[in-house]
Amino acid sequence: METDTIRRREKQTGWLLIAPALLILAFVFLYPIGRAFWLSLFTQNLGTQLEPVFSGFNNYARMFGDGRFWYSLWNTSVFTTISISLELVFGMTFALVLNQAFWGRGFARTAALIPWALPTAVMGLAWAWIFNDQYGVVNDLLFRLGIINEAITWLGEPTRAMFSLVVADVWKTTPFIALILLAGLQSISSDLYEAHAIDGATPIQSFRQITLPLLAPQILIALLFRFAQSFGVFDLIQVMTGGGPAGSTEMVSIYIYATVRRYLDFGYGAALVTVTFLLLIIAVAIAAFFLSKSRINISGER
Amino acid sequence: MTTMPTTFLKSLNWKKVLLWTGVIFLVLFCLAPLLWQVLTSLKTNDAIAKLPTVYFPNSQQLTLDHYLILGGKFLRYMLNSAFVSFTSTLICLAVGAPAAYTLARLKIPGEQIILACVLVVSLFPYVLLFLGLLELVKFFGLGNNYLSLIIPYTAINLPLTILVLRSFFQQLPKDLEDSARIDGYNTLQMLLQIVLPMTIPALVTTGILAFIFAWNEFIFALTFITRDTLQTIPIAISKIGGASAFEIPYGPIAAATILGTLPLVILVLIFQQRIVQGITAGAVKG
Amino acid sequence: MNVLLNLWRQRSRLTRILVLAIATVTILLTCILPALTQQRVKITVMMQALEAAQWQPIVAKFEAENSDIDLEIIEAPNATNLVEDLYTSAFLLGDSPYDLVYLDIVWVPKFAAAGWLKNLNEFVSQDDLDNFLEGDINGGKYQEELYRMPFRSDVGMLYYRSDLLAENAYNPPETFTELIDISQDLQEKGIAKWGYVWQGKQYEGLAAMFVEILKGFGAYWVNPETLEVGLDSDKAIASVEFLHNLIKTGISPPGVTTYEEEETRRLFEGGETVFLRNWPYVAGLTSQSDLAGKFALKPMVHQPEYESGTCQGGWGLGMSATTKHPEEAWRVIEFISSEEIQREFVLETGYLPSRRSLFNDPAIVAKYSYYPQFLEVVEKSALRPPIAQYAQASDILQRYLSSALTNTMSAEKAMKAAAAETRRLLER
Repeated sequence: METDTIRRREKQTGWLLIAPALLILAFVFLYPIGRAFWLSLFTQNLGTQLEPVFSGFNNYARMFGDGRFWYSLWNTSVFTTISISLELVFGMTFALVLNQAFWGRGFARTAALIPWALPTAVMGLAWAWIFNDQYGVVNDLLFRLGIINEAITWLGEPTRAMFSLVVADVWKTTPFIALILLAGLQSISSDLYEAHAIDGATPIQSFRQITLPLLAPQILIALLFRFAQSFGVFDLIQVMTGGGPAGSTEMVSIYIYATVRRYLDFGYGAALVTVTFLLLIIAVAIAAFFLSKSRINISGER
Repeated sequence: MTTMPTTFLKSLNWKKVLLWTGVIFLVLFCLAPLLWQVLTSLKTNDAIAKLPTVYFPNSQQLTLDHYLILGGKFLRYMLNSAFVSFTSTLICLAVGAPAAYTLARLKIPGEQIILACVLVVSLFPYVLLFLGLLELVKFFGLGNNYLSLIIPYTAINLPLTILVLRSFFQQLPKDLEDSARIDGYNTLQMLLQIVLPMTIPALVTTGILAFIFAWNEFIFALTFITRDTLQTIPIAISKIGGASAFEIPYGPIAAATILGTLPLVILVLIFQQRIVQGITAGAVKG
Repeated sequence: MNVLLNLWRQRSRLTRILVLAIATVTILLTCILPALTQQRVKITVMMQALEAAQWQPIVAKFEAENSDIDLEIIEAPNATNLVEDLYTSAFLLGDSPYDLVYLDIVWVPKFAAAGWLKNLNEFVSQDDLDNFLEGDINGGKYQEELYRMPFRSDVGMLYYRSDLLAENAYNPPETFTELIDISQDLQEKGIAKWGYVWQGKQYEGLAAMFVEILKGFGAYWVNPETLEVGLDSDKAIASVEFLHNLIKTGISPPGVTTYEEEETRRLFEGGETVFLRNWPYVAGLTSQSDLAGKFALKPMVHQPEYESGTCQGGWGLGMSATTKHPEEAWRVIEFISSEEIQREFVLETGYLPSRRSLFNDPAIVAKYSYYPQFLEVVEKSALRPPIAQYAQASDILQRYLSSALTNTMSAEKAMKAAAAETRRLLER
């Protein structure tokens, strides 16, 4: 009896504690997401005088012949994979460095956050200028170092444009991962390392046997959010390349944004959103499935 | 590390070299493009577009004009940004921390489903939320009202806040809470007086990330707020014009960026110390 | 309840901050709620912040002469696409807060097709319209109805270094071949680094530039009446090959595939190139640079057997379909497009007027001696296809044109694909 009432009260408190968060989430996300699913079954564009006309799965059928969509999905996947892999490596390095005690650590910590603090749209402009073939710093430095003797058009060729975008994105978002990992490192007790070192473990061994497993929850969270952010990348691309050259850096969110806001093709845009969203969920679900099979403990419970 | 002094020294030096290489790389990597922005903001327009590239402006190429033309209005935009970011961050932490605690410790039915929903929602590309949100803003008459930014920013930051805080709560040793319960603490007291103080690094981290997101968000701020006196810094920057409709005024934009980011830098400088105030070794032993 | 009470009793720091925050929000929100009561009719229009500043004298003058109207200009970011987005979201929500719409010429068909604009035929007579540039009036029409009154015109043209051409005994080029020959000769002599610089980045400017080349080759993009697509004709493919060859032969720098207007203007002003394709604003700025007196402008070159083409741009006012004050809104339009105001605006800013008479206006010519030359350029103007789906058609063209220019596809393959995709779009 006694434990039952405690249980019940705990449940009540739990609901009270979680309710405000759920309400805010529902208020902001439920309608836009639900609306996208619903609208994807209608044709609503300039051809229908912007009135929704039910068309079943027509929009989804149309998607199969839409090379531009699949191409943008491919571009986004390439961009995301390369960016977040690099960011994880850099972010981990930065977190490990910033976790050490050294003179000027406060300065270094602040410095490490600055790229994340600068507005993306503005830094996109700056990066486009840095990669400019005539006035850009990158070419100028390469000239001075004697590495090149002819200007490289960084943003004018598909592979190089993608490379430039990845550089700008890695610069911009590494701090995000670094900060989350740093906070995670802070909560690992140093006793563990001391005990491990007494057992004769090398730093690399303790990194693999203590740091990585205990940091797993933070690593996964950082990766998950970077995956979502990177797949929705918008400002940076819009400002630096506008999707060019030859559509080689057009990302899904750029294409969908144009479909909805510039082409006024709302039904089809909604279908594109729905499919992209579902694909992302499936990707994460598959990743979660494999993680649960491996021995990494996602929940972080000890 | 072994007990033998010579190898110990060796490994210490090696570690030091590695550490400082890391520090120098980090600082260069993060600050070089910023330094470029600072230099751009101090150069005359001619010097910015000069070939060969001018790195450090000479006395004729040096100017403060780009800062001066921003004028007193810029302060107003900064205050707007500060208010929106501060409020949404505060709400986000105030609402997110209890939710995270519930998901970490209290057993409520449907916990897994709620967690999955929070996860799924975070995957929705945020730029594409805007059309639906626009209708909501219109429906509730929130146009040109700070709430039209504060609520979406809070919601967009909530999944990260909840998941990060939850992972930290789970890593706390359970014994502490058990003994607190024996001492007569109820759940809320425990959360406020024991759990939160011990997870300050996580609170500060998510707080900083949420604040920065709100400070820099562009699309919503552009669409939902059209009245000049209510607009935030990114919008103000986008309204800076050059000599022609085609010119991108790099100098003034750089100046506005530097000025607009200064509050964030100061904020981070103050709060970064808090990131280390976590569980100190030995404070909590099972 | 218990929980809340406990929370309050505890008065922990967190609670206090929370309460403080909520109080602050409430106070601020009540302060913001506007209670503006106005007797005067308010007419609202939105435009880029840069131009809004240039409009201030006009607004002051208008309000002085029309005490019953309050003309309010909302500042938007200095990016055309963002202004378009803002107008779009305002209209999507139904009753738009804007009475007037300051329209780029390429938005007219879409906005009209969406039913967001009021037909202006009832307000203005054909005689009045005859005073304006033909291209500007045509660009303001959708399916024969007028939706936009032109204010300032804009048109693409060829700038050249008159000093270099004279020194080397060349006449200004008329045809594509002449442009190539002069460029190569001057480049070989080491007089200029590049021959011809233009906008080749994947963006709207690429489509604008290409319209000129297409017309010069006797080809077309989309016929607005029949909706026929001409991008895969031999002539259209030849025009793409012409551009591609400019890069391949080094007449244009490889970087043109990343350039917008400003990069190309800088190269021209820096003396790096003989020829430049750009808009009228360059004439004003370059006259104040070291190149003053050393350059001239003319309509775009063309094939001997075809006419020159210059891309028609420009801005004008349309009326929101849902405005509650059409009469007052029209008075603003009338005032803005009057000869007197246009003259003042041109003298102040150096933009092109949309009234033909002003190109030879003594006051304007006294300040800008090159204005009569603009008239010749303007009369060759070519419109980008005035179709409702223009935005998408333009994106299709930009992608494939960019593919051809960056060696991702051959000119022929790219144009065939572009034509096929455009046809599919127009059938929908």
